[in-house]
Formats: sequence, C-alpha cells, structure tokens
Amino acid sequence: MRAFRKRDRRIPRRPLLWLAAALLFTLPPMFGTLATWVPVLFLITLAAKFWMEPKGYRLRSVTWKFVLAGVTLAAIFFSYGSLKGIEPGVSLIVVLMSLKILEAHSAREFQVMVIMAWMLCLCGLFLSQDFAVALCLLAAFALLLVALIQFHRGSAPGALGPPVLMACKLLAQALPLIILLFLLFPRVTTGFRFQIVQPGSMAGGFSDRLFPGSVASLANSSNVAFHAEFPDDRIPRLAAMYWRGSVMWRGEGLEWRTPVTPASIRRSARQARKGQAIRQWIMIEPHGGRWMFALDSPSAPPSDATLVTGNYLLSDHLIRKPRRYEVISFPTISEQELPPRERKILLEVPPWISPAVRQLAQSWTAASASPRTVVNSALRFFRTQGFRYSLSPGEYKRNDLDEFLFRRRVGFCEHYAAGFATLMRLAGIPARVVVGYLGGEYNEFGGFFVVRQADAHAWCEVWLPETGWVRVDPTSVVVPERVNLGLASFLDPRATSGQTSNNAFARNLVHQPIFTMVRLAWDTLNYAWDTRVLSFDAEAQKSFVAETGIADSTPVSLIIRTLFIASALLLTYVAWMWWQTRSRRDRVKALYERFCRKTARLGARRDPWEGPSDFSNRAAHLLPNESNRIRQISSAYIALRYSAEPTPSVLDQFAREVNAFVIAPPHGSRSSGRVRSP
Amino acid sequence: MTQRGFPLVSPTGSLIGLLFILVAMWYAASSQNNAAAYLLMFALTSVFLISIPHTLLNLGGLKATAESVKPTFAGQEVSLPFEITNESRATRYGIALSLPDFDGDPERIDDIPAGKAVRVILRFSAPTRGEHEIGRLCLASVYPLGFLRALKRVTVPQRYLVYPKPAGDPRLPQGSTRSTQNRPGPELGEGDDFAGVRTYVPGESQHHIDWKAVARGQPLMTKQFATEAGGLLYLDFAALQFSDPEERLSQLALWVIEAERARHPYGLRLPTAEIAPSLGESHFHWCLRTLALFK
Repeated sequence: MRAFRKRDRRIPRRPLLWLAAALLFTLPPMFGTLATWVPVLFLITLAAKFWMEPKGYRLRSVTWKFVLAGVTLAAIFFSYGSLKGIEPGVSLIVVLMSLKILEAHSAREFQVMVIMAWMLCLCGLFLSQDFAVALCLLAAFALLLVALIQFHRGSAPGALGPPVLMACKLLAQALPLIILLFLLFPRVTTGFRFQIVQPGSMAGGFSDRLFPGSVASLANSSNVAFHAEFPDDRIPRLAAMYWRGSVMWRGEGLEWRTPVTPASIRRSARQARKGQAIRQWIMIEPHGGRWMFALDSPSAPPSDATLVTGNYLLSDHLIRKPRRYEVISFPTISEQELPPRERKILLEVPPWISPAVRQLAQSWTAASASPRTVVNSALRFFRTQGFRYSLSPGEYKRNDLDEFLFRRRVGFCEHYAAGFATLMRLAGIPARVVVGYLGGEYNEFGGFFVVRQADAHAWCEVWLPETGWVRVDPTSVVVPERVNLGLASFLDPRATSGQTSNNAFARNLVHQPIFTMVRLAWDTLNYAWDTRVLSFDAEAQKSFVAETGIADSTPVSLIIRTLFIASALLLTYVAWMWWQTRSRRDRVKALYERFCRKTARLGARRDPWEGPSDFSNRAAHLLPNESNRIRQISSAYIALRYSAEPTPSVLDQFAREVNAFVIAPPHGSRSSGRVRSP
Repeated sequence: MTQRGFPLVSPTGSLIGLLFILVAMWYAASSQNNAAAYLLMFALTSVFLISIPHTLLNLGGLKATAESVKPTFAGQEVSLPFEITNESRATRYGIALSLPDFDGDPERIDDIPAGKAVRVILRFSAPTRGEHEIGRLCLASVYPLGFLRALKRVTVPQRYLVYPKPAGDPRLPQGSTRSTQNRPGPELGEGDDFAGVRTYVPGESQHHIDWKAVARGQPLMTKQFATEAGGLLYLDFAALQFSDPEERLSQLALWVIEAERARHPYGLRLPTAEIAPSLGESHFHWCLRTLALFK
C-alpha cells in the first residue's frame, strides 16, 4: 500500500530477474543446434546486463549498435556459410535479442524484450521437437508471464508469491481456450514454404547398407526409433515382434544393400495372407530417411507411403518430424510365385566367394534336394559349430566371410544374417536380408511399446517353393535368449562382469524398480506429446472434427464456432470474476456515514471532499459539547480505515460509539438537509 | 462525484508487437505444419484473451474521493489529495492516477488490498489565479500483461482556489491611512520579541520557518515576531502605479504576506470590495481569496 511518484523510468530489478530466468530456459534447444558462440554471446549479454543496470550503463551510441549488428551478421554468415535456413535465422534473432538486452532501459523496452523472448520460444520449437525442450519452453513462457505481471504491479518488489500465482491463474484459465483453439482452429497450409535445412545427421538408425558392425553400433543407443500401439489388443509375442524396416537384395558377402530404386508393388490375388490381422498405430521419430516400420508383414501402405518390392514401407517424403500412421499386418504374406527375373537377382553371389564357402553350401545340397532340409542343415551348422554372439566381434571386411564362418566364429546379428543369406544363395535358394527391429519395451502406463535403436536387428528370408517367403533368423539359433529377452537384458550380465564397480552401481541403479517406473512414466509423457500434440496436423484435425459430428467443417465455419465458444467462455469468466470480486458492503463506511448524518442533524454537515480528520476538527469546533466524542469516533474511523489489519474488537467498539452518539437529538436541530454521501 | 460506467479498454502500443509476433508464429507454424508452434501461438493468444477480463475488472470497485484542497499561489504546485477506496473483494494492482486536464506525472499505486483505501496526492502546477474546477480524474491500469489499458474517468466537481502570484516590491507601502513608522522587509523584526509560531503558508519566505521544529518532526511553522507598531495599513488597489491589474494583484498579494508576517494589521481596498484592517490567519486567507476572485 504505497504510492510513489513515477519518476524512475528504469526497469526495476525484480522483473528483469524473472525475464533473465525465462531467457535461460530458452537456451537448451540452442546449444547443439546453433553455432556455439551464439548462445554463449546471449548468456554473456544477459550477465552483462545485470552488471550494467545498477550503474546505469547501456549501449547508447547508434554507431556502435550498427557496428555490433554488422559484426554479428558477418559472424553468422561465416559460421553457416549462408543467411538462409533455420539456424542462421534463429541465430539472427538471438543476436538481435542480445543487442536489445544491452540497449534496453525503459519500461516500454521491457515489453519489447518480453515479446522477443516469446519469439525465442518459437525458435526453440523449430530447433527441437523434443518433449524435454517443450517443457523448458513452457517454463520460459510462464516465467515471461510472471515477469510481465511483476513489472506492471509497480516498482516495489513485494512478495515473490503473488505474481507467480497470478501467472498460474492466467495459464489455468487459458488452458480450456488453448485446447479449444488447438483442436478447432483451422490449420491452413500456406502456399509459401521456407525451406528448413535440417541438421545433417539425424538420430540415424540404419541406412540402406548393412555392413559388419552397422547394427552393433546402434546397440548402445537408447534413442527411441518408434512407438507402437495395438488398438485391437491383438499383441504378438515379444519374440515374434519382427518390425520390418527395409530389405536388402544385393549381397556382397558380409555387406548387403537395398536396390537403388525399389519398385512399388500392388497387392494382388497372387498373394496369400495367413493368420490374424494385426492393426498397429506407429509413431515414428524423425530420422531423415524414408523408411517406415511395420510388423512383419504390412498388407497395405498408409497414406503418403508406398509398399515396395520386398514388402516393406517407404515414405513418400523424408521423415523429418514425428509422424503417426496406422498399418495392418499379417503374420505371413507371401507371393505364390517368384518371377524368373527376380529369382535371378535373388541368387546372385559375388564372384570372389572362396571355394571353401561354396563347398560348405554344396555339401548341404548334396545331402538333400529339399530346400527346407538345406535350410535346417545351415541352421544346424551355426548351432553346433561353436558360433558365439558378441557385440564386439572384432573388425570384419565385406569379403571376410571365410574368416567369420571358419575361423573366428564370433558375430553380431548382421554377420549371421548376411552369412546365412549368402550361403543360401550358394545353395540355390533365393534369399534376402531384412533389417528392422526386434521386440521392444512395453510401457504399462501408456499401453504402448517403445522400440529403441538398441533393438535394431537383421534377419533372413528364404524362398521355399511350397510356402513362398519364410523368415529365418539365424541369430535365434545361436542365442535363443536374445530373441526372448531383448538385447539389453541379454548383454547386461556379460557387460557388468567386465565393468568397473562404478558402472555396475549405475547399472544396478538403472534397474531399481522406482527408476524403471520413472523412466516408463517419462516415456509415456513423451509419447503423449508426440501422439497427441505433435502429430495433430490438418489431417488429424479433419478426422477429429468428423468424429465430433460437426458436419460443416469448412475453415470459416470452424472459425465461427471457435469464436463463439471462446467468447462464451470469456463472458463466463467475466461474470464469475465479477461475482468473486464484487463490492462488499463496507460496515466501517456505513457506520461513519451514519455518524455524519447524526452530526449533520446537529448542524455540522460534512462536505463530500472533507477528509475525516479535517471534518472532526471542524465539527468539534462547531459542536463543542460533543467535541470529545466526535474526535474519538473520527480517530477510531481513521484507524479502522487506514490501518493494515483492524481487529474485530475495534470495529465493534466503533459501532457502539456511533450508535451511542447523540441518542436524542437536541431540540431545534438546525440542519435536516439531505446528506450527500461521499 | 460520478463514478458510474464500465471502464474503457484500449490497446497500448505494445499490442502491435504482440499481434506482429502472433502473425509471425501463425505463418511459421502453418508453413512448416508444426503443431508445437501452433500450440505456442494458441497459448499466447489465449493468455492475452484471458487477460482482457483481468484488466477490465482490475478497476472494479475502486472509488476515488477528492479531499479538500489547500489554496496555493499561482505558479506553485497544487497538491490534490485523493482517497482511493477498494470496495471489491480482491486486491487491485498497478493503478495510475492522472488528471488529463493538467500536465503532471501520473501517480502510481502498487496495490490496494480488498476493503482498504490509499491516499494519493496528485500535484500539478497551478494555473492562473481564480477558482478552478478539477474536472476529470483518470484511473488507469495495464495490469496484468500490459497489452491493454483499462481507463475509468471520474468527474470531480470540486473546485480549488489559486491566489495571485506574489510579486513586486516586498517593502510595505508607507501607510496612507496610518502615520506611524513603517517597517518594511523581512529583515525587520528580527531583533524584536519572539511572538510565537503559526502554520507556514505556502508562498511566504522560508526565512522564518522554525527549522528546529521541523527537525523535531513537527509541521512547517513560521516564527512570528511582534512589533509594537499598532498603526493601520490599507493596501489600495487604486493607489498602485502598474497598468496591468494582474501586476497590481501580485503586488497586493505580496504585501498581504509581508504584513501578516510582520504582524502589522492590514486592510484591503479594491474597486469592488473593501476589507477592514485586521490580522490573523482567517483574515489573511480572506484577503488573498478576495484578490484571487477579483474580476
């Protein structure tokens, strides 16, 4: 309760602190995506501001502003080689914000800084789609609100709590409106697109090439490849969850490749589907490539994707942001016959295959003409000849097939798949390598599976005349546990035995139930963010609107509906807030007015502009008989009115005094005029 | 005092900035089809929309009451005390009070708790002499976000008085009606008997202020020194040589102040009125009031 003159036009310290806190939260997405000097410059200017502000220093000279702007612009150009694209653009905004921080000093500029900070939040969302980043930016958004509220409350810092509470209140009240706008406000795609150049390598996964060590390199990555949900609750066994990613046709020993341009296929009568249909919703994380995943084997492509030869999905565009699609798979889908041209490709082997390997394959065909028996002989070979499964089998080159099959006999799944497929081709059985993921982790909070890069796997498919394509996983023969347990659990005991105690402690900690719970809950939130927010685009909105039963879903009608609901909501808020804060009958004031009416009857009428203390002096002068009581009542009134927290007993005392004041008006009361209330 | 009506809401300059970044966000979100950017844009829009009722209601239940204004001399500052009462059930924040008809910095109130009142003194430089109406009082607030300003205009019917600016020769005239020796100037009386103190009148010389009393925390008082002179002094409008009546009034006002301080009974003779010589605070103000209202 302080009034002060508005002479000091400098920005008070407290709002500036809130703003700085908000700006710190906009930083995380910048590190790692922008050139490092940009966020560092931003941090330095922020720190400098706090040093400069109490001293009244600031960047005043126009020449220096232009020089600094020019220098930073040149630095941005040299860092990125161009001024186009998202990183240079964001860097430009960050640098401008830094200069603004150095320059700003007045109240108006504080508002401008807050607005620019909201722009930085937007930049952060373009730099990263991660849920953790989104949480940081939400914190920044809320802190900016707090900064504004603190700033407009006045210059006295006051308690920390109320501005924070007010910001929370605003956010809570805005929440229904945000949801409404998010769901119903029409998403129009504007014609002009500015090209966003994404950071060179995304969280990778695999490529169109399978070579020794390519899958093993992913084994330690806990990055999420995709999330999968089974809306019909038809969930296959974890061991049978082969997520098909891509098929490698061209075999060169231990190295396999996909065809350069896979041909799209159309489902036709010559294919047989067997088993139950399994519907999946898959939320794929951006990887910068075109491959998409589905359980073995997808029956039809989702929109914006193609099913290509080899029965796998390819997106029509590069996948650069989270994407959600529905796909239906059948355990077995197979062509009835193999065209001779394809058969020829599927039997190709590199010419440099050594006689020993050829001899091994021929030894199986010599024993039996049936392809099925040959396959079993090959599997038996891998099972019985002392093959070991290891994440670090040592380095192999692509023509080290001999080394792998006859000498070292240590490999990871890609070695087994590649070796097995090559052997099958040598034995005259068409074979190919499939890469994808195996299994996943079930999240019971969210009811979905998380498939991580560490679940990457490679296996084989062979063509048998009677059944068509059949999946053969040579790794499962070598280490049956791998398929059942998942890679992480399989590798763990071995890894711990060789690790230092420190790491073992960390690993034990990771396996604490509470930690697992937290991790699963965090995954669920991430997944919800991806599925409910990030993938809610124009198409999802269309189907949502159709589901809610709004027949007319043109943008104009949607805007009108949105406006209607929003204004109804706002009116409700106004009414509710007005009712909450409506004027209260003021007992103190009513009593004082009654006292004034009584003195008026005695001849001392209070002017509307007369302060209680002035009036008390005048009335006491006019009514000397009552002067003591008038002074007493007036001072009680002043105490009640202006003291911080009047006690109820004082109020009751005041009421008694007013009531007792001049019970019987003296004869010949002079003034009976209407008393105007102040 | 008329205080009816809903407050007006008008945009502040920074709303343009907000709209600009909302459009920028919309453009970026739609061209990249980025749902998170849409979400940010909607969040900002919604928070802004929600702030409208907050701004609007921040002035609800506020009542302004002007208290009596002490007369001042032209060219000095008028101090206008207001009592702002918050009759609502919520604390009101960041209220600026200003008088749109006068130039002067707005007064800012940080907060008024529910059911409480705050006294604010608005200051502005007094215009010419005479009786003036205060006119309008503006209660404004941009709380909570500063993109909108709620404005409530209150008509204050109260009037205030401005005395003529004291100027001219401080020496009292050689009395035309009286004959005894005159003691001009503030230096006089210094060696005389101390006759007590009275309330300081804005405009008079600070030479005689009882600074020791001020240091003790007492209000401004002027020391008075008695003179033994008992002659009557008529300050005559017609006797002055100035052609401009305002100049004459200024000179008369200065003499009234000086005579009162010298404890020299004085009277006033104007073409329209005549005040018999006397001394004392009410006589002093009555003379100045007559000068102020002279037409």
